[in-house]
Amino acid sequence: MNTKTSVMPTVAVAPGAVAKNAGASPSVQLLLKYVVWIWLVGLVIVFGLLNKFFFTTSNLQNILTQATVLGLLGLAASLPLLVGEIDLSIAGNMGISSAIGALAILQLHMPTFLGVIVGVGAATLIGFFNGLCITRLRMVSLIETLGMMIILQGGLLAITQGATITDFTDAYTWVGQTTVGGWPVMPLVLFVGFIGMAVLLRRTVFGRKLYATGGNAAAAHVAGIRVNKVKIVAFTLSGFIAGIAGYFLASWQMAITSDQGEGFLLYSIAAPIIGGVSVFGGRGDTWGILGGVLLLTVIHVGLAVVNVPSFYVDMIGGFLIFIAVAVDAIRVGMGGTR
Amino acid sequence: MADDYLIEVDDCIKRYGGVVALKGVSLRVRKGSVHGLLGENGAGKSTLVKIIAGIVQATSGTMRFNGEEIVDADVKAMEEKGVFLVTQEPMIVEPMTVADNLMLGRWPARSGFVRDRHMMALATSFLEEANLDPRRLASTLSVVEKRKLNILRALHSGGKLIILDEPTTALTMADKHQLFTFMKQLRAQSVSFLFISHYNEEILEICDEVSVLRDGQMIGQGQVVSHLDSSALSEMVIGRDVHLFKRVTDEAKGDVVWTLRDVRASGLSVDRLDIRKGEIIGFAGLPGSGAKELGRAIYGLMPSARGFLDESGVAHALPRDPAEALRTGIAFLSEDRLRDGIIAIQSIAENMTLSSLPAVSRFGWVSRSAERQLVEKFWRLFAVKAASHAAPLGSLSGGNQQKVLLSRLVATEPRLVILNEPTRGIDVGVKEEVHRLVDDLSHRGVSVIIITSDIEEMLRIVDRVALFVDGRISAIEPAHGLTKEDVFEMAYSASDRSVSASHQPLH
Ligand SMILES: Nc1ncnc2c1ncn2[C@@H]1O[C@H](COP(=O)(O)OP(=O)(O)OP(=O)(O)O)[C@@H](O)[C@H]1O
Ligand SMILES: [Mg+2]
Repeated sequence: MNTKTSVMPTVAVAPGAVAKNAGASPSVQLLLKYVVWIWLVGLVIVFGLLNKFFFTTSNLQNILTQATVLGLLGLAASLPLLVGEIDLSIAGNMGISSAIGALAILQLHMPTFLGVIVGVGAATLIGFFNGLCITRLRMVSLIETLGMMIILQGGLLAITQGATITDFTDAYTWVGQTTVGGWPVMPLVLFVGFIGMAVLLRRTVFGRKLYATGGNAAAAHVAGIRVNKVKIVAFTLSGFIAGIAGYFLASWQMAITSDQGEGFLLYSIAAPIIGGVSVFGGRGDTWGILGGVLLLTVIHVGLAVVNVPSFYVDMIGGFLIFIAVAVDAIRVGMGGTR
Repeated sequence: MADDYLIEVDDCIKRYGGVVALKGVSLRVRKGSVHGLLGENGAGKSTLVKIIAGIVQATSGTMRFNGEEIVDADVKAMEEKGVFLVTQEPMIVEPMTVADNLMLGRWPARSGFVRDRHMMALATSFLEEANLDPRRLASTLSVVEKRKLNILRALHSGGKLIILDEPTTALTMADKHQLFTFMKQLRAQSVSFLFISHYNEEILEICDEVSVLRDGQMIGQGQVVSHLDSSALSEMVIGRDVHLFKRVTDEAKGDVVWTLRDVRASGLSVDRLDIRKGEIIGFAGLPGSGAKELGRAIYGLMPSARGFLDESGVAHALPRDPAEALRTGIAFLSEDRLRDGIIAIQSIAENMTLSSLPAVSRFGWVSRSAERQLVEKFWRLFAVKAASHAAPLGSLSGGNQQKVLLSRLVATEPRLVILNEPTRGIDVGVKEEVHRLVDDLSHRGVSVIIITSDIEEMLRIVDRVALFVDGRISAIEPAHGLTKEDVFEMAYSASDRSVSASHQPLH
């Protein structure tokens, strides 16, 4: 047993991690930093060789459309991760908030746009509440949001009474169904979302505060950053994005099931982590998150396209994710930074 | 004779990416001696000892231990041979007992179960002399006790060479004395030490031989300490004798700008303290006497503290948090860099501008050019040594990290500055630079509070010393004419008085 390293975590985690790093040369580091993209390109080629259909425009459109909801959720998951917390309730939040919005339209006869706002507003409030619990009440985010996740999933089942909500207004499903010149509009949202996030993280004061809080909350506090406020905003924004994702999912599927969104939970957390966002906070960038999202989507779609029998899909998909994470771990060990 | 040496390092080279930290270094440490290792910040001292301890691997070079060639040894292998590194931050598992920590990773066990009673018995007999209770929880130990425990662990595991990387930071004079006595005892039992320090007087007191690194090269190897004095040491370290800075106290003092009133917190009770514009005041006192605590209270780091800090006659409550303090023009340097100073994984630039984000941004947008300007200004001012602005702060040597933190603080353009151990881990040359910088700040009208356990340093750079005893200010004296001994006497005798006073029966 290596006693020295096992004692390290008391204080020296960060410098220790840096110390290991610097062995690799700058070009190797750059390569490692975007290893998720290399992995992505490799898989695309493999799937394409296995089935020509994979390279068609319609499949590309399919991948991008599928990636939209996961992408937004990946962004929502990243914000708490960047400040060193975790939010397990975003997928549940996505489901219930879309149901609230849809029911406001269908049963309270609200105008469509108002109903959507109500839904997204509910999601935002849920995120804000999570933030309050974690900062003011000092609840542990892993457990608090786990509890919230169960409440939200149960809540969705309760308000839908187990039934699937359908019969949306045309205005409601417009975004999910419309194509312009043969191209669906959904992926546009994906790109807007990622560009917005990139700008937020890299160019704004708030982005700086996020990274500082996640990097060393005690130091950030002494440096004059209101760490709790930053965390609350991160959770609130995360809830807001989950709400948007919920609306898009419903608009695209034209249905809200009583377990809407549940399947997304693990993937939405896995995507940013595969893309290099650290669960300890303070590390990760938008390119990485996008890479992680596309990688997971390509695995998902690719396995369907090459006709892997459905009994094996989950298992093989899990393996591929496993390998991606292992590669990422090697990357961190060899000196990639965010 | 070769077998006089416990460890022999030859032509050791270490590259970190593009940075060459060690450029062919050789070092020899004799058996049963205390060997000092000196050098500027970033000279490569920590890197060298980490290589010796097997924590990092050298890029090239050879190493012999007890005459035996060492190849590709890791920490565990080196510990088995008897080489232990005690880092600056004590490595202790806080929730475990002293005994657990003493035998960390080598607990006496039978088929996987730790033999607790046996372990306690072993620990008790081993710790008898050291005055440590094996049953105590490690989290209740003081800094010295923790460091001592680290050294004891090394010994208990059969340590022959114990490496201490800046072990005296954060220690009081008494603690230091205790540590040195302990080292001398062990030396008599022919344990060797490799001792890193930025304090010449410590090297002169405890070391038999000294080696000096400069910029990754060995300048003087194995010099006999008894032939050297402090200025000779400084000359080896920075290539010239340091001219010790001495503040010239301005007799025509400025007006009182800051007034602390009725500060109350647990263990802290200060009725009034006036601080003039451009004045440097030192807070001195034993640990727990309130000096550090008052500094934290002024910066909003003790939310339970109540009281007032008036500026120019305008009454203000103490700031609620650091953000508010900064807005009031107060800045603060943490005593513990790693814990609440640096953000190790973030770049130098991001660390530097962290407290002055409003100044480098507009409507919430960071202006890259404003940021670059600010960083370049302080980069030059403090002569930061690093590959680029984008290098993670954690990859810098301790002294350079401190420079970045000082930059962060000065960049906020404060009117009152609280410096906690400002020269902790800084080399002799930079130390004087920091003193000049603080002096400079004061001439620009900034009031400065300095809290440090290095009383000698304090007396050279402050105008007045406020002496803390039991949470109160027991005396305020002009620094001019005070000696270190005076301050100690005041601190101890005053605390003795109050101790005996508290033993008086109540009437
Ligand atoms: N993990 C690392 N990655 C990149 N550079 C490093 C790393 N560790 C050390 N360096 C560089 O190697 C050089 C020597 O650093 P080292 O920590 O050994 O200095 P030092 O003599 O211990 O200084 P100090 O007195 O400030 O502690 C410095 O230029 C430092 O920036
Ligand atoms: Mg060092």
